[in-house]
Amino acid sequence: MDTPFPYGISDTEIYRYLGYRGQTPEPPVLEKIQICKKRLMESVTPKAIWKYYDIHWCADGSFLVEDIPIHSKNLSRNLKDCHMICFLAVTLGPAPDRFIQKAEITAMSDAVIYQAISAAMIESYCNHINQVIKDEMMQRGLFTRPRFSPGYGDFPLEFQKTLGQCLQMSKEIGVTLTDSLLMMPSKSVTAVIGIGTTNPNCTMAGCEVCNKSRTCLYRRTPEGE
Amino acid sequence: MRKDLRERLKNEWVFCDGGMGTILQSKGLKGGELPETWNLSRPDDILELHCDYLKAGATIFNTNTFGANRLKYPDNLKEIVEAAVALTQKARTLCGREEDAYIALDIGPTGKLLEPLGDLPFETAVSIFSEVIQIGVAAGVDLILIETMSDSYEAKAAVLAAKENCDLPVLITTIYDEKGKLLTGGTVASTVTMLEGLGVDALGVNCGLGPKQMMPIIRDLTAIATVPVIVNPNAGLPRNENGATVFDVGPEEFATYMEDIADLGVHILGGCCGTTPEHIRQTIKQVTTHQLVTLDNPRVARISSYCEALEIGPHPLIVGERINPTGKKVFKQALRDQNFEYILSEGLRQEESGAHILDVNVGLPEIDEPYMMEEVVTRLQSITSLPLQIDTTDIEAMERGLRYYNGKALINSVNGKQENMDAVFPLVQKYGGVVIALALDEDGIPESSDGRIAIAKKIYAEAAKYGIPQTDIVVDGLCMTISSDTNSANVTLDTIRRIRDELHGNSILGVSNISFGLPHREIINSFFYTMAMQNGLSLAIINPGNEPMMRAYYGFMALTNQDPQCGAYIDRYAQVPADSMAAITTNGVGKATTGDLGLIPSIEKGMKESAVAAVTEELKQRDPLAIINEDMIPALDIVGKGFEKGTVFLPQLLMSAEAAKAAFDVIKDAMKDTKQESKGKVILATVKGDIHDIGKNIVKVLLDNYGFEVIDLGKDVPPEVIVDTAINQNVELVGLSALMTTTVVSMEETIQLLKEKKPGTKTVVGGAVMTQEYADSIGADCYAKDAMATVNYANSILCPNSL
Repeated sequence: MDTPFPYGISDTEIYRYLGYRGQTPEPPVLEKIQICKKRLMESVTPKAIWKYYDIHWCADGSFLVEDIPIHSKNLSRNLKDCHMICFLAVTLGPAPDRFIQKAEITAMSDAVIYQAISAAMIESYCNHINQVIKDEMMQRGLFTRPRFSPGYGDFPLEFQKTLGQCLQMSKEIGVTLTDSLLMMPSKSVTAVIGIGTTNPNCTMAGCEVCNKSRTCLYRRTPEGE
Repeated sequence: MRKDLRERLKNEWVFCDGGMGTILQSKGLKGGELPETWNLSRPDDILELHCDYLKAGATIFNTNTFGANRLKYPDNLKEIVEAAVALTQKARTLCGREEDAYIALDIGPTGKLLEPLGDLPFETAVSIFSEVIQIGVAAGVDLILIETMSDSYEAKAAVLAAKENCDLPVLITTIYDEKGKLLTGGTVASTVTMLEGLGVDALGVNCGLGPKQMMPIIRDLTAIATVPVIVNPNAGLPRNENGATVFDVGPEEFATYMEDIADLGVHILGGCCGTTPEHIRQTIKQVTTHQLVTLDNPRVARISSYCEALEIGPHPLIVGERINPTGKKVFKQALRDQNFEYILSEGLRQEESGAHILDVNVGLPEIDEPYMMEEVVTRLQSITSLPLQIDTTDIEAMERGLRYYNGKALINSVNGKQENMDAVFPLVQKYGGVVIALALDEDGIPESSDGRIAIAKKIYAEAAKYGIPQTDIVVDGLCMTISSDTNSANVTLDTIRRIRDELHGNSILGVSNISFGLPHREIINSFFYTMAMQNGLSLAIINPGNEPMMRAYYGFMALTNQDPQCGAYIDRYAQVPADSMAAITTNGVGKATTGDLGLIPSIEKGMKESAVAAVTEELKQRDPLAIINEDMIPALDIVGKGFEKGTVFLPQLLMSAEAAKAAFDVIKDAMKDTKQESKGKVILATVKGDIHDIGKNIVKVLLDNYGFEVIDLGKDVPPEVIVDTAINQNVELVGLSALMTTTVVSMEETIQLLKEKKPGTKTVVGGAVMTQEYADSIGADCYAKDAMATVNYANSILCPNSL
């Protein structure tokens, strides 16, 4: 069955993940990228799950979701004026990990290319699902905030467990957590998205919400920089 | 007295209950709340739910234990499970169904991914399931129902746990997506093949989809299953309505689909998420008006990997023989050194060359073969989609291979000796497998085909005593060299033909034995191979990198109308120069570029084949060491410096490294009689808790290139292992990688332990979240921002004079 990855992947994003800052890779590398990209497109099994919950704000600025207390100043700031929250998990499935593992035996240069392409793919897929959520809320006259993931700022990584339980992540889309709370398959993203009645004109996500963005080797830069 | 459930499963209507979690949610279960806690906190709600299903007419109903395991209930698992069983027993008494309702111990997935993709060891998964099963069985359940499994490997762990802890019927359903795949990639055929091999009493599908979307999956299941099939769909596909998950298919519509499903040969029916007692009641009402259909599928010889099933018999198949130390000095050394990379690459190369099955033989007198078999099987099966052949005479190694194999394996081998059959068949019975039967016994190898056929019959008969069907036996007709008995090929070919014509069985040969002791063996081998296929050979154990053999195979397939439009033949040979006898293989993706480039530009540009050709040419006239020092090191330095300046990027750096490595291998081969010096040992490890090791592996490639001896400890490595290795092997430099802030803690622990136990050892750290400040704060000696920085540091520590 022909089931291509249904969302466009920007080549410049792939080059960026490979460390090419605004430059185009050499022809042999470009050729590898195209072959690996085609294989990944044919093999990934993108899946997503999301659910909406009410936020109950507490006097101290923290809040409750499904009776679960959440203490994170950064997230509380992100969720200012929100009365709802969306829990979200997306994944490309195990195919990228398998390709990468296999390439680590045959040719490490293929491994880093698979790694970069699948990183661009999960980002793109996550943006796509984020847009679906944004549109769903727009139809109800509501507006979304930038997505925020466990581990950003003071939003504890421990929250992965809560997301896993609420979304039934492993059963629904096959995303599991290791003891150290890493996600497997590794090309997976979890996030929360605030929902409110006011429109803050937010970007969805990206380097802008990350606190390493000034020093990161892979940060998005304006064209040609 | 309740009727034996196993008998009822064969040819009676059996109805399972429906949704549990979705009903508890409607009764007020919160998103983050564990459903099984209600066995203790809200027992009346659980009791009511059981009673509703029993009153609706369910024959099998489930304990509320889907997520009950020690990972989620570290403190009170026994209490939770015992309460769950007690509630089902109470419900059965209350409803007056003692005589005809069966309590199923409900087993769901652990929620963790098994190694090597995840971090849960297979044996830990078995023990997690075993614990629940022991508690449930002691409390008095009637059967084990394993459900919603989305990973075949975890399903195997659960079935083994059930089989090893009770004699109750074991039923299992897995969850497929709309493409008919498990989340980890398995198909209906691969899953059924493995589970039937493990001896489950019934198998099928639940959850994920509604009955309508499940239809193609159910057709696949009923087309091949030889045990009864179970179907427990959701009430349609879930839909999000104002934040709540809803299911749209009502009881009557659901029951109408279930009628169609029953007509396909399914008589064990129930529901999953979104279904209610009313769905079950309606299903029973409508379905029982139909004539019950049972399946009557023939048994076939089928093996499987995690993601595909392969039928033996319809077409000749190739078993790649290269993972085997016999007569291979380098392979033997790789086994001694536990150089898995080399062993795995032998497997992948054969996959590229066109093997259908990979033989795994890791027997060497001085190594721990059971351990090695487990390691190679688990590592290989995660990177190849081909089924494996477990090849050993060591029964313990055979069991380890079969236990950790994610599928139904080909087993090499059993023979007609009673003692051997007594040892091998119990393993085939327990783990499943298609086993190769050597046509020899206590009296040796019969000289005639009559004698070999008689032994084959004896082995079939003995296997039948274990319930192993003839289809799970492949007879080895035995191949002996014609250089010592010129009639031996005739006898072998006659045996193969008679296995096909008289026994209606499958056959196998280790083809190349036929030419032992003769010159140009591939001439004899490839002709004999063709003759054997013509006489009905099912499986050939050959080297798929040997082009004459592959020509015989592709030629035979095209000539016997087994290659539609000669497509495979044309695909393989259309672009090959007419006089080329070289094997068709590739390493890594992209064109194999060849040309007359010199060694230095070949390495700079990262062209592997060209580098190999150039170095081979250079070796004819120059000293190997001179080539290394005057060409290779300078070429690598140009690329390395370019990388540091930002004019060469990571993929190019690695391609150069790979080209250099290929050239080094040629040189090493030429210098194999002189002792080769290493610049020093470096330990590399991804620290405990971290399972992303791509960064560490990049560093490894480059350190290798620069002449360091890398001891790669892998990923998720505990501090003690790193420190012990450093002490035992007297290593002065340790490189540590961590991806996340949470795992940098393990990095710090490792550095502290090193300072305490082996002071003076240098540490170099790297990884996505690492910075100079961070490295300083955890006491590392060096922060390497990339792989080249690690190489430079290693040079400065281990060979300061070379700079």
